Parts: sequence; structure tokens; C-alpha cells
Amino acid sequence: MNGLQHIVHVIKRGGRSGSWLTLPYIIFFLAFVAYPLIFSFILIFHRWNIVTPMEWSGLRNFSRLFADPLFFKALGNTGIFLVIHIPLQIVVALGLAVLLYSRIRLRGFFRAVYFLPVVVSGVVVTILWQQMYSYDYGVLNILLTNIGLPRVPWIVDPNIAMPSIAIMATWKNVGLYIVLFLVGLQQIPRDLYEVADLDGATKRTQFFRITLPLLNPTIAVIVILSTIAGFSLFIEPYVLTGGGPMNSTLSTVLYIYNQAFYFNHMGYAATLGLFFAFIIITVVIFQRKLIEKESYA
Amino acid sequence: MSRYRFFLFRCACVILIVIGCSEERKSPLTSDSSVVHLTYWPASNPHEIQLADSIVRMWNHLNPTIQVRMQPIPSGKSTEEILLAAIAGKTTPDVCSNIWPGALHDYTEAGGLVVLDDFPDFDSLASSRVPRELLEAFRSEDGHYHQFPWKTNPLMMFYNVRLLQEAGVDSVPRTYSEYLAAGEKVTRDTNGDGQTDIWMGERDILPIWWQRLMDFYPFYIAASKGKTLFLQGEIAFEGAAAEKVFAFFQQCYTRRLFPKTFFQGGAPFLLEKKATHFAGPWHIATLKKFAPHIEYGVTPILVPDDHEGPTYTTGDYKNISIFSTTRHPEAAWEFVKFLVRNERDLLLLEIADQLPLRGDLLTNSLFTDYFYRNPLMVNFARQVPFTRGLDKVPDLREIFDALSQEYEACSVYGQKTPAEAVRDAARRTRLILEWNR
Repeated sequence: MNGLQHIVHVIKRGGRSGSWLTLPYIIFFLAFVAYPLIFSFILIFHRWNIVTPMEWSGLRNFSRLFADPLFFKALGNTGIFLVIHIPLQIVVALGLAVLLYSRIRLRGFFRAVYFLPVVVSGVVVTILWQQMYSYDYGVLNILLTNIGLPRVPWIVDPNIAMPSIAIMATWKNVGLYIVLFLVGLQQIPRDLYEVADLDGATKRTQFFRITLPLLNPTIAVIVILSTIAGFSLFIEPYVLTGGGPMNSTLSTVLYIYNQAFYFNHMGYAATLGLFFAFIIITVVIFQRKLIEKESYA
Repeated sequence: MSRYRFFLFRCACVILIVIGCSEERKSPLTSDSSVVHLTYWPASNPHEIQLADSIVRMWNHLNPTIQVRMQPIPSGKSTEEILLAAIAGKTTPDVCSNIWPGALHDYTEAGGLVVLDDFPDFDSLASSRVPRELLEAFRSEDGHYHQFPWKTNPLMMFYNVRLLQEAGVDSVPRTYSEYLAAGEKVTRDTNGDGQTDIWMGERDILPIWWQRLMDFYPFYIAASKGKTLFLQGEIAFEGAAAEKVFAFFQQCYTRRLFPKTFFQGGAPFLLEKKATHFAGPWHIATLKKFAPHIEYGVTPILVPDDHEGPTYTTGDYKNISIFSTTRHPEAAWEFVKFLVRNERDLLLLEIADQLPLRGDLLTNSLFTDYFYRNPLMVNFARQVPFTRGLDKVPDLREIFDALSQEYEACSVYGQKTPAEAVRDAARRTRLILEWNR
């Protein structure tokens, strides 16, 4: 029974107060999910710049999409970001989680500190990193030159800019994944480690033979969550680099945003959005299948 | 509470919500049925707000039957976005004096503007101020005028006299070679900490389309001796002039005369961290307010070494339009006429240091005293006949975005030759035009 049938069933059953209670959600769903979704399906076959009436364009938006090198460049950039960001996120989060799970001093303090960037506004974090990454006046390059190393063109070199954004995004989000790993670590029975100690297993062996395999479900969740978050990369390149240098940080969402709100190509932006949603769904389903296969293997 | 009372309570809540959410529909004849009310949006910078406030006070005092309410353009990323959103939402004012001709196509396509040449005295008023040739540049594709040419801000080069003198630069650079040679002397590390403290110039390196209106575009107009990007709807920038401009800026970055960075915490020209700055006359008001100690001069935009003849630049025009949502077009037109009268043009100079778009700036005795007291503004006034606007093509922002990408690739990062950059910009522009045809 789907949601709508359930509501009809509840109303028929006479649960009028229940149906009243669902009304806010139904209104929200219709206004902010169903309507935009249907409208964007209509838009993909039209040309519309918000102020003039919609103009039927058939499949022109699709033919434009497949002939648009900048869109595929943005798609590639998003892929590069994911390839750098996801492994980095997992390694850093896991390392810090293991450290914070062990009995160290000020453990609570460090747990709070690592979580702090998660609750800070993305724009604030990006402006902060923009100052740190500045080629001539940034604190990172000042530190490097003080120890005799050359300056790094963090966000002004097309080859380095996207990894720099990935580092910043990792710093911003790692606290959330540390929490998830800590939950996973707490669920591993302690007696497994005690038995391993008795058998003479080293800490390294314990980590690779006990901790890591038992954290597989957590890693699966983190991979899927950070893939979805990575696909929606927007604030960092929007504020930090504007998509440059040389479009090397132009993410797919930023490109769609530019088409919609800079150039008012609403129909084309809707087409890009739909195509991108299809890619995200495909990747996430593929990831899930792969992880499930690995887990049961 | 009985069910009946609960029902009444819910009805009351719904009515209150509906009333609360409904648009406030002010009658144009609110308190007094004989009084017409107009809304006027000027630009939202402090000088223009002050100017608009003075003019509106004057108007309201003289015209008790047509009262104008001044409201600066609501804050947003750009005036154009705000106005487009207002057109879509039918919340435009009656009159706006910050109309950028580059966005006019979008406004007219949406039917957002009143045709001004339908007013019988439009032609006589416009041609009495603006030379006929320049006036034609503001005619829309449908043959009508939807904007009244109001003011211009010719882009020129500001230079810091002290920084040039200290570096041993005796004459102000006029050509690319002179500028690069001067830049080698000016750009330096003054305290020996390994970081450059004074730069010859600086431009925002973010590839944002409108940034190119402040560097590539005026330089292209100067190098092409007054040509714009298109000629009769066809691409005209694919040639030597654009290549020279890309090559010049490439030299500025390659020789490290311009930083590849983002300045934080203030404008580098005001902080005397750079010796030159490309801007319009509005920058004088900024310098007066924030850096009155700086001794500076103004000179035309740089030109290629083999350049001959006058130096052209971009006019950065801002015009006045009446929006089609107005219920009182006649009254709005009366107010527009009041805005562009000689006395108001003088106020525009006095308060905002911006130039009214008129052909007699240096000959009309009304302005003589102002230019005597502000000799630097004479440079800008002399530049007015040699200004050019923007092409009347759709998707101009996207075309400037394409140029911006190539400027970045070629000039800032040296990843393309100027010829490749111009070729790729033209190719992308053709695609944009084709896609949006």
C-alpha cells in the first residue's frame, strides 16, 4: 500500500484527525517535492528564462547537453573530487576515530573539537580556507616559505585546486564520519580483542583482522553518504574559486546553478539536473550492490 | 471546546493566514484620491542614494499631486538579477535609474518596459542631450527606445603618483610596452621578506563574466579603435585586437606584475599596494572618502604600441526606464524628465562624481564651475565621445563568461596562446548563439 492509498484508507476508516495531522506534510510534499519535480519534467522540453513565456524546444536541450564540453568537464571534475575526497575522508576519519576511541587524555574535548567544523557554516569555512590558501599572503604558504619550502599554488593551479578543495571538504566533514566510526567501534565486542591478545596478535593485526572487517557496514554507509555529499559539491568552488582556475573546480552542481541563475537557461538547467540525478542514482545503486556483494563474500 | 467552536476557531485561523499572506495592494490613490504615488529605484551605493534622496525631496516639494517614494534597489548579487526577479514577480517599480544596457534585451523580451518614444517629447528631449549617433546605440532591436540615456562612466586608468615616482617612472605609461617597463620598476618587495608588497596592477582572477567588463572589454575597445564584439550580429572580435589584449595581460601575469591571488581585507589601490587601477569616475568619490591622502592621476586605457588616433573605452552606461507595471506612465515620464534636467545633471556630478550622458559637458556653462573645481573629471568628460557600449545580442552574459574562461586560461595561467584563446572564445560564442537561437 503506497502513501496515498494509506491516506485514503485512513480517511475512509474515519480517522479524520489523523488525516488532518498528515496535512502539513502533504502540503509540504506537494509544494516542495512533487510540484518542482513535475515542473522540471515539463521544463526539459522547453526554453524558459523565467520572465518570458515558455517556448517548446523538443529535444534541443538534450542535443545541447551532449554537445556541451563544459558539462562533461564539470562531470569529470566532480568525479576527480570524489576519487580524492572519499578515500581521504575514510582514512582520516577512521584514523582519528580509532585514536579518539583509545584511552587518551582530554578525549571528550578532542571529540568536540573535531566535530566543530561540521556545525560551522560552509561559507564561513570556505572564506577561512580562502585566506589560508592565498598564494602570496596565505598562512600555509608563509609557513612553507619560513621552513625553506616553495609556495604551493593551492587554488590558482588547475592541477592542485581540486585536491585543495577535497582537503578542505574533508576537514569540514570529517567530524561527522568520526562519530559514525565511533558508533561502529563501540559495537565491536571487546572480548574479540582479548582473545586476539591471548593468541599473541599484534595491534596492527587486530586492526586489520578484527576492527576493519567489522567496520565494513559503517564504511559502506560512509561511502554512500560521502558520495551523495560529494556529488552535490557547490559551496566550496562557488565561494573559493568560482569554478576556476580554467574550470578545474567547476563542479556539476555549480555548472547547473550557473546555467539556471546566471544565464537564466531554466530548461537546459533542468535537463542537466535530470541527467545528473540519473548518474547519481546509477552510481549509488552500483556502489550498494558492490558493497553488499563484498559484505556477503 | 465544542466541535462548533473548534470549527469557528479553525476558520478564523485560515482567514487570518490568507489575509496575512495576501499581497498588499496599495491603491495608487491612497490617502488622497487626487495624489498619484510612484516608486523609484536608484542604484544602492551611498552616493546615488544621497543623490536620489535630494532629487525626490525636490520633486515631492514641487509636485504635491505626484508623490515619489525612493527605495534603493534591493540588495542582491546584481541589479540585473533583482530586476529580472521583480519582472517575473510583477513587483517592479515605476521608474529605475540603474538600467544596464547589456540586460535590456531580457527586460524588453519579457515586455517589462514602457516604450519611451511613444511620449511625444521623448525625441526632442533625448536629442537635445545626447548626440544622434550615440543615441542610436540605445535603440532596441524593435526600433523603439526602452531606456533614456542618463549617465556614463568611461573606464580609465588611475595611477598612484607617489608609487610611480618612487620607482623612477617619469612618465605615465600609455602603451603596453611602457606599462610593462614601468611595472618592472614598480613591482617589488619593499621590506625584504620575500613577498611582493607593491604591484603594478591587479585584477580579480575569478572567472566571473562581469569582471571582464573592467579589463578585457575596455582594452579590446581601445585596441580595436572603438569596435565592439559584434558587427551586424556577427562575431567581430576574432582578430588581432583581442589577441593583443590577451597577450598584454598574459605578460602582466607572466612577469609577476599582477598577483595571482585574492586580496583580503581591503582594496589594494586604496591601501597603496598597487600602482594602477582601471575604473570609472565613481572611483574618485571612493578615493575622496577612504583614501584622501593618496595623490593620483587619471589617464586613458592602455593601447598597443602601434596604436594611432584617439583612445576609445567602454562607457559603462546606466540609463533610466519606466516599467510596464506602472499605473501612471505619464506621471512616471514627467518624473524621468525631471531626473534628466540640467540642474539634476549638475547634482549627479556634484554628489556622485558621475557624468551625465550629454554632448555639451565641457561647453555648457552650467558645468564649468564643477570641472574647474574637479580638474580630474575633465579627463573623463573628454573621454565621453570616445566611449562604446555593449552589443544588443542575447546571452551577452554567457558570451562574456566564455571570454572570461579564455582570459583566465591564456592571460592568467598562460595555458593557451592568445590566438588559441581568441579562436576558442569565438567557437564557444558561436555555440552559445546557435544553442539559444
